[in-house]
Parts: sequence; C-alpha cells; structure tokens
Amino acid sequence: MTTALDTEQTLLVLKIAFLVLLYLFIWAVVRSVTRDLRSVPQESIVLSAKEANELRARYEPVVPTPFARILVLESPTLQPGSTIELREPTRVGRGGENTIRLDGDDFASTRHAMLEPRPDGLWVEDIGSTNGTLVNGARVTTARLLVPGDVVRIGKTDLQVET
Amino acid sequence: MSARNRELLNLGFAALVASAAFASVSIVGTGLVTTHWLGYVGVIFGLYLVAHVVGRFAVPYADPTLLPIVGLLTAIGLTVIYRLGPEDARRQAVWIAIGIGILCATLFWLRFDYRVLERYKYLFGISAIVLLMLPSIPGLGHRVNGANLWIKVGAMQFQPGELAKIFMIIFLAGYLRDKREALAQGRLKDLGPLLLIWGAAMLVLVQTSDLGSALLNFGIFLAMVYAATGRLVYVGAGIALFLAGSAALYNALDRVQQRVTVWLHPWTDDKVFCAINGKLEYRQNCDSYQLVKSLYSIANGGFGGTGLGKGTFTTVDGVQLIPYLNTDFIYSAIAQEAGLIGAAAVLLLVMVLVARGMRIALIAQDGFSKLLVTGLTFGLALQTFIIVGGVLRVVPLTGITLPFISYGGSSILANFVMLALLLLVSNRATATAVNR
Repeated sequence: MTTALDTEQTLLVLKIAFLVLLYLFIWAVVRSVTRDLRSVPQESIVLSAKEANELRARYEPVVPTPFARILVLESPTLQPGSTIELREPTRVGRGGENTIRLDGDDFASTRHAMLEPRPDGLWVEDIGSTNGTLVNGARVTTARLLVPGDVVRIGKTDLQVET
Repeated sequence: MSARNRELLNLGFAALVASAAFASVSIVGTGLVTTHWLGYVGVIFGLYLVAHVVGRFAVPYADPTLLPIVGLLTAIGLTVIYRLGPEDARRQAVWIAIGIGILCATLFWLRFDYRVLERYKYLFGISAIVLLMLPSIPGLGHRVNGANLWIKVGAMQFQPGELAKIFMIIFLAGYLRDKREALAQGRLKDLGPLLLIWGAAMLVLVQTSDLGSALLNFGIFLAMVYAATGRLVYVGAGIALFLAGSAALYNALDRVQQRVTVWLHPWTDDKVFCAINGKLEYRQNCDSYQLVKSLYSIANGGFGGTGLGKGTFTTVDGVQLIPYLNTDFIYSAIAQEAGLIGAAAVLLLVMVLVARGMRIALIAQDGFSKLLVTGLTFGLALQTFIIVGGVLRVVPLTGITLPFISYGGSSILANFVMLALLLLVSNRATATAVNR
C-alpha cells in the first residue's frame, strides 16, 4: 500500500517536473541565443535603405538631393523643346517599366540607358542596348559624367543636359 | 561562453527534461520506483554527446540551439513510442543512432565547404525524381494504408519520399540561385519550370494518391521561389494552380474524397455505406474511426495531461484504439499524456527551431545557402503544420510524420541530414561574421 502511494506521488511530482522543466528549457534556449544577439555586432546588411538613410541623416549634414534638368531636342515620342527634371536614377528605354518611355522610338532598346543625378553632376550609363548610347556622337562604354551642353542620343531621341 | 559550451549546457538541460519523462513512463510500466530508465537516457544523450564532440571539431561556430532542441524532440518521441510499445522504441533508438552517425559523417565530409553540393544540383534534382518514382515500379513498390509511398527490398522497408524532399531542396536552391534574376522579371517564358514542377507535383499526387507529400513538396517549392524572387504573384499563382489541379483530381481520387468527407463530417447520425466491411455503419465507426478516437484521446488529456505513461490507448482487452498511433498520430498521444500545456511546448520547440533556421537564412552570405536553409526550415514548419493540423481536424488528415518525433527510420534519417545542413550553413555564416 505504501509503495502504491509512493508511486502515485512520485508520478505526480514527475508530471509537474516534466512540464515545468520543458518550459524552462525553452526559456533557457531562447535566452542563450538572445544573449548571443547582443554580443555579436549587427551587420549593416540588416538595415533597410530607409533606415540607413535615417541613421545617416542623424549624423551627417543635410546634403541637397542631386538634381539635373534635360531638354528634349528631337524625339519621335517626347515633345521637342520640353524639359525633364531628374532627382533619382532614371531608366530610359522602349519598355513600359521605364521612367522615361520611348515607346514610339524603334531604334531604342527595351532597357536602354540609365541617367543618374549625383552630387557631382548627371551621369549616363548604357545598360545593354542594341544600338548603343551616344554622347556628342561618341558611343558610351562605361558610366560617364556629363557637363551642361552635352547631347545624349538614345535611339532617335536627342537629349541635351541643361544644368 | 562559446557557442559549443552553450550547446553542451543546453544538451545537459534537455537530458534532464527527458529524464523526467523517461522516469514517469518507466515507473508506470513497472509499477515500481526504479532507476533503470537512466540507461535509456544515458544511451540517447551519449549519442548526442558524440555528435556534440564532432560538432566542436567540424562546426565550431554553429547555432547552439539546434542540437539540444532536436535531442529533446527525439527523446520525447522515443518516450512516447516506448510507452506505446517497447519493441518499436528499441528499433527507433537504433534509427536515431544511425541518424546521428549520418549527421556526424555529413558534418565531417562537408566541414570545409558544403557549397560543393551546388555543383551537383542537377544530379540531386534527378535523384529526387527517381526516388519519388521508385514506389510506382511494380515489384518494388509497397502499398501501405492506401498510399503508394514505400519500397520494399527483402525485409527492409524504406520511404524514399523523405530523402527526395531534401534532394529537391538542394536542387531548387542551386537552380533558383541561377535563375532568380530571370524569374524576378516575370516574363511568361520563364514560367515554364514553374509549370513543369506543378505538373510533377500533380503526377506524384496521382501516382501515390498522397495529398500530404504533394502539398508539402509544392509548398516548399513556392516558399523557395518567393524567397528567391520576392514576388508574391508566384505564390498566388502557384496556390491557384495547386487548388485547380486538386479540384480537378478530386473526383478521380476516391482516397482524397474520403479524407475531405472525414474532415468535414466525422460523425453521422445515420448509418452510411462503409467501404471497409461493405456494410452500413456510423461513419465514426468506419472511415473516421481513427480521427474520432484521436480527438477523444486529445480531449482526455485536458490541460495538464494524464501524466506520461498513464494515458488510455487500448481497450480493456488490450486492443489498440488508434491505428498508426506512434507515427501519424503521435501528436494525439503526446496531447493526452502531456496535456495542452505539454503539447503546446512541443510545438514551441519546433517553432524555436524554425525561428533559428530563418535567422540562419538571414545571416548566410550567399544565395545558395539562404535558399537551402529557407527550404529546409519552411519544410519543417509546413510538415509539422500538415500533420498536427490533420490530427486536430484543422485541415484534412494526410499521413506524414511529425519531424524528429514520429516512429520511422526514413523520416529520422532524412531529418538528421537536414539538421546537418542547418549546422553547416549556420557555422559558415557565423564564422564569416566573427572573422571579419
């Protein structure tokens, strides 16, 4: 009789011990790795572009957003004489997903060129077009800095850099 | 404290938790307060200590939580299997030993750079297809419980689908890393492989009439495509295709129809035709017998459970109430004996494992590693969801194993290969972060 009672009591203790230990184990495991997180320096890779910009803005003086204006000299699609303002990297091409669309220009490629305003000026880069991108008649092979007055030819479209 | 010392500490803790479980089962079994269960705990955690020592040498920076969690999950599984049938537990212990052997061998073999696997991605892809097709070969295939998933060579039974899953993940990680740029642009011609794999999933579904594996493999595929391209439209299109395919096949596959009926209406008030004995029966005594008895089993556990070893799984005559209790339905046994509190803890353990896996994917440097770990981890999560959801009647029941817990050699072996890959990737990712 006493043994039976002992068995029952032991089992009750074991049942509670098992469940409590189970949760303590989970707690210990999770804790051991969160401590781990604190000691290993975080990589910049985990910051999103927005977060990184916010952080940078806190420590660095405000830099004016790079800006450029281009004038359309001649184009089958765009209105000649109109100007386009660029504030961020802009893709030019015949495809619908481009910021500057040249859908009537049969000599332009689907993804033709990138125009990127940087603090030092407007840059142009050919992104694998068939007929090439010309600056003042010379074909562009790498990213290149433009100066006001340069004429960029994409397909049958001529764009002149104003500022 | 170094990662490996932390792992050792956690392993010791896991052994302590497992001791309480083993002791309880052993005392109920013998009716005496003895200490002979210490042998069982000693053997199992001795094996894990071997894996730990190999880890110190091969993967010194690997995540310190993976091995202890897996150790505890297998120990809990083993306890419940032992409680249901000591013979099976002995076999399961042997499988765990072989699994740990394979874990150590894989760690040792790939300790310098596991990314050599990427070079053989097409070999892995073809092997996965061959493995999936093996059970369909007449003479080799072996039908168990209506599903065509087994191959039988002599006395050896093997379920090749488990290993095929891991091979498929290795292939997809390599393939998607190559093609992610093209896929992300979403041109129509790049959708070819997606449709091909959807077709293969449907074919395997028809061949094996096993909805669970098809869902699992296709789900892993979609998750990996999403991780590679970041485009939700693929996931949406994939789910739509899978649903359309399943709906079209629904009428052709009796087995799938039966599973859905059982899921929606397990109890009937009137007697309906029962295909098992050809008579009129209440459905709870026929098709849905297993599921209904499992629900009663879970309900019997209540909050705190009956205590390990004290649950009711047989009738007074000693006839087992729930068929396949130690494989597909092991969650219902755990839920009865450990209660809601214990069963939730088991799910929490799996969740921590999955969360750690996703973190490894985040800190891994190259695309292959990221995709590999994402696929393996998501597979673990989805598999647990499908089987636990099936047992709890959240989704239609399909017989797949609960990873690391269920009885079954193929499953244990495949899961240890998965663990080895997680450890290897995590080791490399942390090592580069520390040494930079």
